[in-house]
Amino acid sequence: MKILPKRGCKYLFIPIILLLLFAAGIVFYALKPRSVVLEFGMFTGSNWNVANANSFVIIDNAIARFEAEHPGVKVHYYSGVPKEEYSEWLSRKILAGEEPDVFMVLGSDFDQFSSIGIMKNLEELIETDETFATEKFFSSALSTGKYGNAQYALPYETVPTLMFVNQTLLTKEGIETPESDWNWEDMYAICSQVTRDLDGDGILDQFGICNYDWLDAVYSNGGEIFQSNGKNCYLAEDNVIDAVKYVRQLNELYQGQKVVRENFNEGNVAFMPLTFAEYRTYKTYPYKIKRYANFKWDCITMPAGTDGDNVSQVDTLLMGISANTRKEELAWEFLKLLTYDEEIQTQIFSHSQGASVLRAVTQSAEMEAIVQAEMEEGETVISGRLLGKVIEEGYTAPQFKKYEQALSLTNSEIGEILENDTTIESNMKILQRTINSYLQQ
Amino acid sequence: MREKKEYYTGMFQWAMLFLNCTAVVFICTFIYVTTNRIRAHYDARNFLGNVMTIPNNPRMNLWFCLVLLGMLVINFIFRHFLQSEHSRGAAFSLVAELLICVVIIYRLDFNYNGLLLLVFANVIAYIKDSKAKMGFLLFAIGGYLLADYELLSIYMPLFNMSDYVRYYTFTSQQWLSCIWNTMISLNIIMFISYCFSVINIQRGTIEEVNKLYHDLQNANEQLSEYADMAEKMAQTNERNRIAREIHDTLGHRLTGIIAGLDACLALADVAPQEVKKQLGVLADVSREGIREVRRSVSELRPDAVEKLSLNAAIRKMVTDMGKVTDTQIYFDAGGEKLEFGDDESNIIYRVIQESITNAVRHGHAGQIWVSLKRIDGEVLLEIRDDGIGCKELNSGFGTRHMKERIEMLGGTIAFDGQKGFTVTAHIPIRWG
Repeated sequence: MKILPKRGCKYLFIPIILLLLFAAGIVFYALKPRSVVLEFGMFTGSNWNVANANSFVIIDNAIARFEAEHPGVKVHYYSGVPKEEYSEWLSRKILAGEEPDVFMVLGSDFDQFSSIGIMKNLEELIETDETFATEKFFSSALSTGKYGNAQYALPYETVPTLMFVNQTLLTKEGIETPESDWNWEDMYAICSQVTRDLDGDGILDQFGICNYDWLDAVYSNGGEIFQSNGKNCYLAEDNVIDAVKYVRQLNELYQGQKVVRENFNEGNVAFMPLTFAEYRTYKTYPYKIKRYANFKWDCITMPAGTDGDNVSQVDTLLMGISANTRKEELAWEFLKLLTYDEEIQTQIFSHSQGASVLRAVTQSAEMEAIVQAEMEEGETVISGRLLGKVIEEGYTAPQFKKYEQALSLTNSEIGEILENDTTIESNMKILQRTINSYLQQ
Repeated sequence: MREKKEYYTGMFQWAMLFLNCTAVVFICTFIYVTTNRIRAHYDARNFLGNVMTIPNNPRMNLWFCLVLLGMLVINFIFRHFLQSEHSRGAAFSLVAELLICVVIIYRLDFNYNGLLLLVFANVIAYIKDSKAKMGFLLFAIGGYLLADYELLSIYMPLFNMSDYVRYYTFTSQQWLSCIWNTMISLNIIMFISYCFSVINIQRGTIEEVNKLYHDLQNANEQLSEYADMAEKMAQTNERNRIAREIHDTLGHRLTGIIAGLDACLALADVAPQEVKKQLGVLADVSREGIREVRRSVSELRPDAVEKLSLNAAIRKMVTDMGKVTDTQIYFDAGGEKLEFGDDESNIIYRVIQESITNAVRHGHAGQIWVSLKRIDGEVLLEIRDDGIGCKELNSGFGTRHMKERIEMLGGTIAFDGQKGFTVTAHIPIRWG
C-alpha cells in the first residue's frame, strides 16, 4: 500500500504548503475588505409608543458626521422595520449570522441576546478608551445596559415616568399643584377631595387618579419585585404589600367604577402617570390640539411612599455592538457617537420624544430652550434639574431571561387580588411562592 | 495472513474517515437547513428565547467545515499512499490531522467529538511501541471524555444540536436523534473494533515471533543431533577401515610370518640351511609388512601438511581463507628453503591457522600479513593484521594453546593487540 517508503518525507511539504495556501486563500477571500461598510440596525418609529415622524433625522445626522470623520467608511442601515417587527427581524438576522455591527436592542431582548452571546461585552472597550467616562451617563440609564456585572449595551435615549397633573381641575377645587417632594398621604388626600359626583346623577364623574399601577406604588415605596439575578421575587415584603394596599385604597374611592384614560383626556381626572415621551408629544402641535386642549396641565414627580422616595420607572433604549463584528473599532466609534456625543444627544430633544442619557445634555439650558420652542408661550417647561433628578433616581427593571414572563404573570395575579375583596398579605405570600417556583424552574 | 489483517485495519480507517465526514456534514447541513426553516417561519425571536447560544454563521460554518473536511481527506490520502507507515512524514500528517479535527470540533461547539476517535485510531496505528500505544490510548480516552459537550457546556456557552432538533415535530425529532445516535454509536463501535484488531495484529506478531524462535531452536537441536550422529558414523567407518587395513596387511603378513616361523621350527634340526633361507624370506615379508603399515598410517593422516610441503600447505590455507572471506591475506616465506620436522610443520601450521581465524573473527581485519623467515639461529613466525585488535588478551582466543604448542618446540610466542593484532613466535632451528 505504501508506495514511497522513507523518501516521501521530502515531498511532504508540497501538499502541506498547498493546503495552507488553499486555507489562506479562503480566509483571505472571506475577510477581504471590499469596501468598509458598517451596518446599523434600527427600527422606525418611537420606542415610547408615540408617533414619531423624525426617527431617521438624528441617525442620518450622526451617519453624515461619522462618514465625514471616517473617509472610506459607509454606514448602512435597514429602514422600514417597525418596532413591533424589529425583534423578529433582528433575531432572523442573528440566526443567519448576518446581524448588523451596531444595533438598537429592545429592553425585552437585551437580556436574552446578552446571555446567548450576541451582544459584545463592552467592558474592555470602555476601559481602554481614555476619552470615554461612564460617569457622564445617568447611572440608572447606564445600568439598563448591564448584564451580570458587565456593560453589554449603552443607553441612547431614556424616558422616565412622570405624574401628569390637571392644573385646571386642581385650581377649580382650590388645591395647589403639589411640590416635587409630595407623598402618598398628600395624593390620597387630594384624590379623596376631588372624587365627586358633579351633576348629582349618583355616578361619580370627577376622579383623583387613573392608570396608577401597583408597580408605580412599589417603586416609589422603595420596593423591588425581583432579585436582580431573577432567582427570587419579593412580593411578600412589607413595602410591596403596603404599595398594593395603597392602590386598593385609591381604587376604593371610586366605588367600583373604572377610571380610564378617556376620563383624564376629558379633564375629569386630577392625576395620571405618563412617560416623558408622552409629555413631549402631547405638549406639542399637532397632538396638543387633539388631546388635553380643554385644560392646563403639567407634570411632577411621583408621590413618595411611606418607605420610599419620589421614584418612578425609567425606560431606556439601548444600543449595542454585535459580538461577531469584524469592525470592532469603527462600531465602537459609531456607538459612541450616537450615545456619548453631546451634539447628537442634544438632537434627541429636538427630533425625538425621549430625554438624553447624558447628564450634561439633559440638565442643560439648551434642552429647556429646545423643549420650550416647541410649546406655546406661557406653558411651563419641566426643568432640566427636575428631569435629571427623576432619571438619575429612577428605578430600572432588572435584566434576566424570564423577566417579561414573570412580570406579566405577577401583574395578572395582582390584578385579581386588587379586583377581588381578599386578604392581601396571605394572597401575596401564596403568589410569592408561585412566582418563585416559576423563576427557579 | 498479516497482509490481510493490515488490509482490514486500512479499511477500518477509511470507513471511520467516511463516517466522521458524514457526521460533520450532517450537523452543519442540519443546522443550516433548520436555521433557514426557522427564518422562513418567522420563528427566530421565539427560537432565540430557548437556546443557550447559536453558531455564528451557519452558512459560513458549513463551507468552513466542508473545506476542512476536504483538507482532512487530502491529508489522509497523502499519508495513506505516499508515506511509509512510521516515517516522519506520517507523523507530520497526523499532527495536521489532529489540528484540523480540533478546529472542526471547536467550530461545531463540541457537539460532535467523534473526530477525535478518528485521529486516535490513526495515531494508535502509527505508534510502534506497545506500552506507548497503551499510554496514548488512555490519554486519548481522557481527552475524548473531556471534550464532551455536556461537560464543557457547564463552563462555556455552546450551541446545542438538540435545541435545533427540538424545532421539529415529535416524529421528525425521533428520526433525527435516531440517525444521529446511530452515527455516534457506529463511530465508537468502529473505534473499539479497530483497537481490538490492532491489538490482535500485534499479539499475532508476538506469537509468530515466538513460534519462529521455537522452530529455530528445534532445528538447532536436530542439527547438533545430526552432527553427533555423523561424527559417530565417521568414527565407525574409520574404525572399520582401520580394522580392515590391519586385517588385510598386518594380519595377512603376520599369518604368513607365523606359518613361515612354524615351518622354520620344524626344519631347524633337519635342514638348518633351509631355515636360514626361510628366515631370509620371512625378514623380507616383515619388511614388506612394515612398509605396508607405514603406507596405511600415512593414508590415515588427514591433513594437507602431511601430503604437501609446509609452504604449499600454508599457501593453500591462505587461498582457501581468501576465497571464503573478504580478507586479503599475504604470505611471505622468505627466500630460503626451510626444513621442518612433521611436528614442527604441524604446530606452525596450526598457529597460523588459529591466528588468521582470530584476526577474521574477532579483529574484523581487512588485511593479514603472514611471514615465516629464518633470522640468525631461529625461525621467526609473524602474523599481523589491521583489525580492531584488543586491549586485553582474552584466553578464549586460543592464545594459551598456541603458547603451549610453541613451548613444546622450545620456542617463545608474544601477542600484541595495540595496533591491529600481532602474533610473534621464535622457534629454535633443529636441523643445524
